[in-house]
Amino acid sequence: MLVLTRRIGEKLVIGNEIEVEVLAVSGEGVRLGILAPRETSIHRYEVFVEIQAANQAAEAASSKVAENILESLSAHVRAELNM
Amino acid sequence: MMPKIAIQKTDYSYDETDVIVFDEGLIGLPDVRRAVLVKLPDYQPFCWLAALDNPQTRFLVVNPHEVFPSYQSYIPAEIATLLRSNSQLPGVLAIVKISSDWTKTTINLRAPIFVNLETKRAAQAVLTGTNYRLDEKLPQI
Repeated sequence: MLVLTRRIGEKLVIGNEIEVEVLAVSGEGVRLGILAPRETSIHRYEVFVEIQAANQAAEAASSKVAENILESLSAHVRAELNM
Repeated sequence: MMPKIAIQKTDYSYDETDVIVFDEGLIGLPDVRRAVLVKLPDYQPFCWLAALDNPQTRFLVVNPHEVFPSYQSYIPAEIATLLRSNSQLPGVLAIVKISSDWTKTTINLRAPIFVNLETKRAAQAVLTGTNYRLDEKLPQI
């Protein structure tokens, strides 16, 4: 991991297009400003990890699902939706 | 001959033009790049989203607007370009976490998959600023 020190108002640039600026520091909190191309997705790390875990859990559950479970689940949903 | 993918011992044929491409994979799963949506007539409204590069990997998915009529997704800015289309609204899929006790099945309404139905390019996005859950319960359970 690259470790470096920046002061308030100073920036980093990642690749050619992503800028990260330290906007403010108060107590244990650091306020960052990020400038990136629109199509770059930026997530708080905790959110990213949470969704990754949800995706992995859904995949694991799908791979071992029994046909009768799918049957009951879909029948319930169809009944609820009058399909 | 059309390519096939085997899911639970059943072979499903698909056309190359049906292949959905995730430029960045799913969130936290960068290897899921190419997939096909396999409709399940016996288990409507659910489908399999089956990864092509790793045939063991598949996700049970559903159109969240169908299951939750009040669901309101919006297109996050970072995928707006990807989804730009001349003629069609994007397709929306929610990933289902099925449970061996089917009543405990949950649906991820917070991080849906959007598909550009024209180009078949897709991305999973996070609906920030909403109260939708990663593990929404089934309706009326």
